[in-house]
Amino acid sequence: MTVFRKVLIANRGEIAVRIARTCRELGVRSVGVYSTADRDPRVQRHFDEAVHIGPPASLRSYQNIPAVIEAALLTGADAIHPGYGFLSEDPDFAEICADNGLTFIGPKPRQIAVLGDKSSARRLMRDAGLPLLPGSVEPIANTAAATTTAAAVGYPVIIKAVAGGGGKGMAVVRTPDELIPAYTRARDTARSVFGDDRVYLERYLDRARHVEVQVLCDGHGNGIHLGTRDCSVQRRHQKLIEEGPAPALSTTTIDTMSDAAVRAALAVGYTGVGTFEFLVDEDENHYFMEINTRIQVEHPVTEAITDVDLVREQLFVAAGHTLGLTQQDIQPRGVAIECRVNGEDPDRDFVPTAGTLDRFDPPGGPFTRVDTHAFTGYALGPHYDSLLAKVIVWAPDREQALNRMHRALAEFDVAGLGVATTIPFLQRVLADPEFRKAAHCTALVPRMQATKEAGG
Amino acid sequence: MTEQHDPPVHGSLAELREHTRRLANDLAGALRRVSVRSGDTTIEVEWQEHPEPADGHPAPVVASAAPATVPTDDRIMVCSPMVGTVYRASAPDAAAFVDVGDTVEIGQTVVIVEAMKLFNPITAESEGVVAEVLVENGQSVEFGQPLLALAATDGAGE
Repeated sequence: MTVFRKVLIANRGEIAVRIARTCRELGVRSVGVYSTADRDPRVQRHFDEAVHIGPPASLRSYQNIPAVIEAALLTGADAIHPGYGFLSEDPDFAEICADNGLTFIGPKPRQIAVLGDKSSARRLMRDAGLPLLPGSVEPIANTAAATTTAAAVGYPVIIKAVAGGGGKGMAVVRTPDELIPAYTRARDTARSVFGDDRVYLERYLDRARHVEVQVLCDGHGNGIHLGTRDCSVQRRHQKLIEEGPAPALSTTTIDTMSDAAVRAALAVGYTGVGTFEFLVDEDENHYFMEINTRIQVEHPVTEAITDVDLVREQLFVAAGHTLGLTQQDIQPRGVAIECRVNGEDPDRDFVPTAGTLDRFDPPGGPFTRVDTHAFTGYALGPHYDSLLAKVIVWAPDREQALNRMHRALAEFDVAGLGVATTIPFLQRVLADPEFRKAAHCTALVPRMQATKEAGG
Repeated sequence: MTEQHDPPVHGSLAELREHTRRLANDLAGALRRVSVRSGDTTIEVEWQEHPEPADGHPAPVVASAAPATVPTDDRIMVCSPMVGTVYRASAPDAAAFVDVGDTVEIGQTVVIVEAMKLFNPITAESEGVVAEVLVENGQSVEFGQPLLALAATDGAGE
């Protein structure tokens, strides 16, 4: 079975390295792209070729569509893998790839567009039978509509930007008198940040878990799910720890969510890998939130429990092959956990740090995987997100997996002038009684930060 | 093959400035960084959602973009500002824009770089004498790749 001859990876950091590795295993040549900030040849050693596409600012390099397309055409690539972030969820980019005879490794431009718009995604998914949180499916047009909807939904409510993402443009409203100012502010922020002031409103769950379902569909009407991940350990909607399968949920709930996600994906003719995000309350009611139409940062968790290389599957499906896996082939076993080691200082509200890594000694040992682009001497710069490495462990059960992660993080030695990492904070979460019992929810990290500050 | 496209202009500089000012006012936290570009109309803003502690972390040092002209020793390099294909002349049968020994003036077109079917004239940002041509007609170039080396003329030095 042939896939592609040469794939250009329109990304940087650990995900570019991770994609290049699968390319190499498949005998597919890889082309890396890099900005001036990433020009260290040690960053590019994973690629067969590399093209300097622009200055450090990502808008002029990794998000610069003409530069990426030109690099693909000049190197003779036949496909582009967008990774996550940057151009990965840009329907225009997917369309321009096609116009230039390049296969975009991801869903069709139209699917990216309708599923990326939270308002149309909610409508489509409701029609496909996914449960939504009580709230507005259409954008809220004015303050009167906001008042009526909030009263009908019941407080607390959350206001979200239709075009939003990454935790920006969201506001939690607990009482009716806060509603109008919050609504006006949310629209102003959405207009400024996303150039689109449409917002919608839904019930806010204080003690919810963030659970997601990984799906994989080919272009021939076949789709499967690859189990669940829990990503409730978040700081301002940025995930810190992910695990799979989602713990402390009944098999019935997991099966219901997973089957619904596959049905909904097939209903919209989805192709490629995708993630359906849900909020799950204490009674295991689950509500659809959004779809990510790309490979996710936390995909290795799923790889560890299902033995499936998701990037390999992406390449085969994008090349037009029929899925080689059936739902029966997916029998998740054991527990996998991923910790994101970011170059951020948890004691200073996770402010990104920058500097050269004088020591970078990642962990090893049984069932321990580290995905990273960093090395001793690597210069952690201020230009991009601060993810330095992902540590993923697998074990037959959660208790062993937690102990294994604790051991792995203790081995991880990162040091450099001015550089701090999230490792100490991750260790605190791993030791937290609520987290160990899998009784945690999205309020865990704010609670831990508050405890730390109160304690001195 | 001489087509020249000016970059599209979306609104005047004054409008851009006004939009930036409005943006800065609308945001909930203190500004960390603003960058405004007029060519393709880009505004990038970073702001704080919560005030920083008093012992505020110093703002990261942002390296500036590679300039199109890089002086090396006594030679001045004219570098490609984009990924693309170099053309040394305006048409296949036309004479090269410049050749070794030619004197170039500031603003003079020295090559064309084609990217996504747009033909972008690359102009000299310093005057000088062409000491070496480092690319061939039709060659692919990366961002920042040297195209020509200029030797400074008497008037060009500091």
